[in-house]
Amino acid sequence: MRLTVDRKQIEINADPDMPLLWALRDLAGVLGPKFGCGIAACGACTVLIDGQPVRSCVTPVGAVEGDVVTIEGLAEGDTLHPVQQAWLEEQVAQCGYCQAGQIMSAVALLEEIDDPTDADIDNAMGGNLCRCGTYPKIRAAIKKAAALKMARA
Amino acid sequence: MRRFALALSLAALSGLAVAQDDAPADPVAGETRVDRETGLPHWRKIHEVFSHSRCANCHVEDERPRWSGAHYGATRIHAFNVQRGGDGSGFGNPGQRCMTCHMETNSPRPHGPPGAPHWHLAPAEMVWWEKSSAEICAQIKDPERNGGRTLAEVADHVREDALVRWGWQPGAGREPAPGSAEETYEAILAWQAAGAPCPDQ
Ligand code: FES
Ligand code: FES
Repeated sequence: MRLTVDRKQIEINADPDMPLLWALRDLAGVLGPKFGCGIAACGACTVLIDGQPVRSCVTPVGAVEGDVVTIEGLAEGDTLHPVQQAWLEEQVAQCGYCQAGQIMSAVALLEEIDDPTDADIDNAMGGNLCRCGTYPKIRAAIKKAAALKMARA
Repeated sequence: MRRFALALSLAALSGLAVAQDDAPADPVAGETRVDRETGLPHWRKIHEVFSHSRCANCHVEDERPRWSGAHYGATRIHAFNVQRGGDGSGFGNPGQRCMTCHMETNSPRPHGPPGAPHWHLAPAEMVWWEKSSAEICAQIKDPERNGGRTLAEVADHVREDALVRWGWQPGAGREPAPGSAEETYEAILAWQAAGAPCPDQ
């Protein structure tokens, strides 16, 4: 089975029903997306497929059509994605476990809404849980990322 | 169907008894006479399906799908701040679409998300959630509120659409809608043949 992950073509031998998250972590060695719940209830495993966020823990790998982007494929060389940069500047992470998923949802949000309101942020991020309660920092970082992204454009 | 509804309301306005068992609703050739005795049992079957939580949970008037029904405990709004979507499409919001979590097939894991193709909320005007049988009946006959469909097209939609059909294959831990897609298709056609009568309440 052939997948495009973070702009690289990879070849894996997987049961089509295997969750994409398992395929990424166990077969492709892409450890950025995290396992939290396995039932689309926490958001830790979020990746993008053709720009849209999906919970990779419930995505059968055989159903994947399109380019998969994980947290590991966001940066361009040494240049962090504006969302990563904002996360660093706002020092969002506490334990960090949820943050790969948070960042991917934020990236998806900013792909569609350049300058999100608080309501836009709530609507995009409701499925990404953080047991450390970093929500206020996430909100601040998304706003900073929006500004960074617009400044770079 | 509009002409049929108009005939009914004119009859009501002029103080005539609304067509009952054997009186034709409209003398115009080709109009179906309304046979309440035959039609209403078919409608009841259809209503049992439409009002079932597998269907009504996502036929809501507001922005939020519901979690309700047997096995769900108390009725709740869908967790995770899931909403219809600012564009009104029913597919969710940027950053969190329905299809972020709902795949084309049911998750095999306990409490995992159900899945079917193009998972989304029904348009707000097709509201069934907490509506009476009479209200749902009026809605499904109204092309303005049923997606511009004839009743035959409604029946086809019920039989063919993968997301509708999911209601009868909702995955482990969820009670399916009563009967089957085929039985509901047949009930809609039989109800239509009887003049598509609606209940009083
Ligand atoms: S691990 Fe996928 S949503 Fe929790
Ligand atoms: S930073 Fe610890 S779970 Fe979010």
